[in-house]
Amino acid sequence: MASWLFYILGTVAVVATAMAVTRRNPVHAVIYLVNSFFALALIFYLLGAPLVAAWEVIIYAGAIMVLFLFIIMMLELSPGEEADRQGPGPLQWLPVLLLGGVLLVCILLLLQLDPASGQELPRWYASPRDFGYALFHKYALAVEVVSFQLLFAAVGAFYVGRAASRKEQPGGEQ
Amino acid sequence: MIVPFQHLLILASLLFLLGLMAVLVRRNLIMILIGVEVMLNAAGLVLVGASALWQQLDGQVIVIFLMALTSAEVSISLAMVVYLNRRKKTIDIRAFDELRG
Amino acid sequence: MDSRLLFLLILLPLAGGVVNACVGCRLPRKLVAPLAIGTVLGSFILSLSCWSLAAGSGTQVTLFPWLSSAGLQADIGLLFDPLSASMCLMVTGVASLIHIYAAGYMAHDENPARFFALLNLFVFAMLCIILADNLLLLFLGWEGVGFCSYGLIGFWYEKPENALAGRKAFIVTRIGDLFFTIALLWLFSLFGTVEITAINQRVLELDPGVITPLVLLLLGGACGKSAQMPLMTWLPDAMAGPTPVSALIHAATMVTAGVYLLCRMFPLVSLSATGMAVIACVGAFTALYAASCAVAQREIKRVLAYSTMSQIGYMFLAVGVGSVTAAINHLLVHAFFKALLFMGAGALIHLAGDENDIYKMGGLRKKNPLLFGLFLVGILCLAGAPFSGGFFSKDAILLAAFSRGDGLAACLWGVGVFTAGLTSFYSFRLLYLVFFGEYRGEHAGHKLSPLLIWTLPPLALLGLFGGLLNLPHLYGGHEMLSHWLGSPSTTEPPFVTEIGLLVLMSLFFIAGWLPAHLLYRNFTGEKDAPWRRFLLQGWRFDALYEQLILRPYRFIAQFCWIAGDRGLIDGVVEGIGRTMLHWGGYIRLLATGQISFYLQGFAWGLLLMLGWLLLKAAV
Repeated sequence: MASWLFYILGTVAVVATAMAVTRRNPVHAVIYLVNSFFALALIFYLLGAPLVAAWEVIIYAGAIMVLFLFIIMMLELSPGEEADRQGPGPLQWLPVLLLGGVLLVCILLLLQLDPASGQELPRWYASPRDFGYALFHKYALAVEVVSFQLLFAAVGAFYVGRAASRKEQPGGEQ
Repeated sequence: MIVPFQHLLILASLLFLLGLMAVLVRRNLIMILIGVEVMLNAAGLVLVGASALWQQLDGQVIVIFLMALTSAEVSISLAMVVYLNRRKKTIDIRAFDELRG
Repeated sequence: MDSRLLFLLILLPLAGGVVNACVGCRLPRKLVAPLAIGTVLGSFILSLSCWSLAAGSGTQVTLFPWLSSAGLQADIGLLFDPLSASMCLMVTGVASLIHIYAAGYMAHDENPARFFALLNLFVFAMLCIILADNLLLLFLGWEGVGFCSYGLIGFWYEKPENALAGRKAFIVTRIGDLFFTIALLWLFSLFGTVEITAINQRVLELDPGVITPLVLLLLGGACGKSAQMPLMTWLPDAMAGPTPVSALIHAATMVTAGVYLLCRMFPLVSLSATGMAVIACVGAFTALYAASCAVAQREIKRVLAYSTMSQIGYMFLAVGVGSVTAAINHLLVHAFFKALLFMGAGALIHLAGDENDIYKMGGLRKKNPLLFGLFLVGILCLAGAPFSGGFFSKDAILLAAFSRGDGLAACLWGVGVFTAGLTSFYSFRLLYLVFFGEYRGEHAGHKLSPLLIWTLPPLALLGLFGGLLNLPHLYGGHEMLSHWLGSPSTTEPPFVTEIGLLVLMSLFFIAGWLPAHLLYRNFTGEKDAPWRRFLLQGWRFDALYEQLILRPYRFIAQFCWIAGDRGLIDGVVEGIGRTMLHWGGYIRLLATGQISFYLQGFAWGLLLMLGWLLLKAAV
């Protein structure tokens, strides 16, 4: 039963990602991507990571994709001026598809050659309690460092995206 | 027993390659960043699968860090997209070719 | 006298030259010339006082080892034997007089320090040639005189023709030096030593086949320095230098270095009959050539230059017929009267207002009778007037040639006699054109400094009574020079031969004088004729060398420059540069600035890594 679920969810994820990647309208792409993330979250639950699944939805689909939507709307691209008006044509897609195909073949071959990859994934379940324990005991330092990193990112984003300084205005500073 | 690990890896590589193609082909900066997101997700999938295979929590912990860092990275890169749009009035990637030799 | 004092002979002029070269321009004018004169005079007095050291087989002293490696041992050493002592005395004596003369001649020049430095260095190099006990030190002096001669001929280098004359002299003598170098190296490889006495003692060990080439190579070197055919084109042009230079270098010293070399290596040279014959032929033919050219010359110093060439031809002839004594005898006497003539010519040029052309002189006898008298002595010696010094020395040479007996020597004797007649003719032509008749020039003369006149009488006396040096038994003499040089004449030529030759020489002397007297006593002007122009241009040897050697050389040089240097080398070097730039232009196309292009690079790299992993796994 679980394996059937896995394959269905996998198909959904792939199709949704493919749609997201090929849309002309970025908002449509974001919606499709959220769909894909939902499927992935369910796959994570199947693999025994319920906490990770929750976070996938909360952080990835809930925060990051929403941020994308905010920025898309903020950029105020007029409909006529939208980048990718035509979208890349088949002339652009074909070489990249070819490259992707070759890479896929290489990866498949590598998987075939590796004897250890045929193992079946066991059923298991990582309880939040165990997860929390591991996170705040074994990886406590990493948690602190990541929190610093989020601070830097916030400061950086604030600085990069600040309003245009008065120097750029024609009036000039008095 | 769910699925062979191989199948998980195939799924992850498919997602990764789709993200890679998005990065290579799309001209809109936002779409390129979306491709990056897809690739990061695929990596996370592999990590979770590996932690399931070996029944250890480390993979999942790494995934949480990955998500944290991804969110930080996305915020900065979208701030940069805003800035670039202010500079060139467009987010077509072909407009940013000052490094041309 | 202590034999170590011999080193002062060469070190004194060297010191004078170095001091003048380094600080001479800072010294007061009045100090430069006396310093130079003093050093050479010191050498002269020293060679006089050390005279006794030279008797017999001489004295050999070594200052310090100079080169010593790989079997070569060359020291700074001097050999003071009869031959070198006589030459040394002559060189230092004549050089002292010429230095004093030069002090007067160059009194108004702007660069006395450079002049006297070069002059002193020249004396040092010449004494190195004379006194060296090994060929390498001799070669050092050989090159030294060449360089100093170049520096002195081109002394007034602001005029291009003077610099060109200096360069021509240096290059032509250099060709001779090349032959000498080969001979030197060959001798070293044969004997393992470059010491002259050692080589001379061991010449009999040599394989007969190598002797003739060696002698011819030595002859080549000697021809270069002594301006014999075919390396003689530089001497007439060398008259562009100041007159003291011509007197010292091109009359008494450097041009006699070739004769000295052959006499020094005489044990080697005399072993090859072919070599000796070639030497004699070169000498005789050059004598004839130079005398014929002197007949048509217009510049006073050029007449004397060709005359020098001719007289040195006589010396070569003497060596070629086997008589070192006759050669050295003529060398010494010739040095005296030729230096006298050159110095007198300098005074005459001064007197005629810096005019060189004898057609524009004339009647100078009345202007300065003393100079006329002194010059007359020189001319008489040159022409071989009976019982003057020049007569005895020339007669000795021709006697040696005649008494040798074989056919070639007899031919050369004939050439020598005819040349003596020509010599008489052109000498008196010179005398009459300059001193007799009316003054044909336009300039007013300058006053002569006493230094220019009073250095001449000693030379005149030496020239006039030079015959006493080697007076033959016929006249009651004891042939002092032959005994001194260690080769007394063993057989007495028949009385009839000697008297006959005496009469013949006197006849030729008069046969030369008479036409000159008739043609030039009252000179009105000369017609230009093709034969005259041919002789004036030295049988057009300059033009011949230009066609034969210089033009192909210039062509090759041009070719090497345009095709080799510019075409090939620059082409390769610049070509590589241009190719690199060109390819760089292509590589530049990779830097498109398009971000998607760079990202594709990532993808291709990923492909490469995967491919490599596959290959590793598959193998």
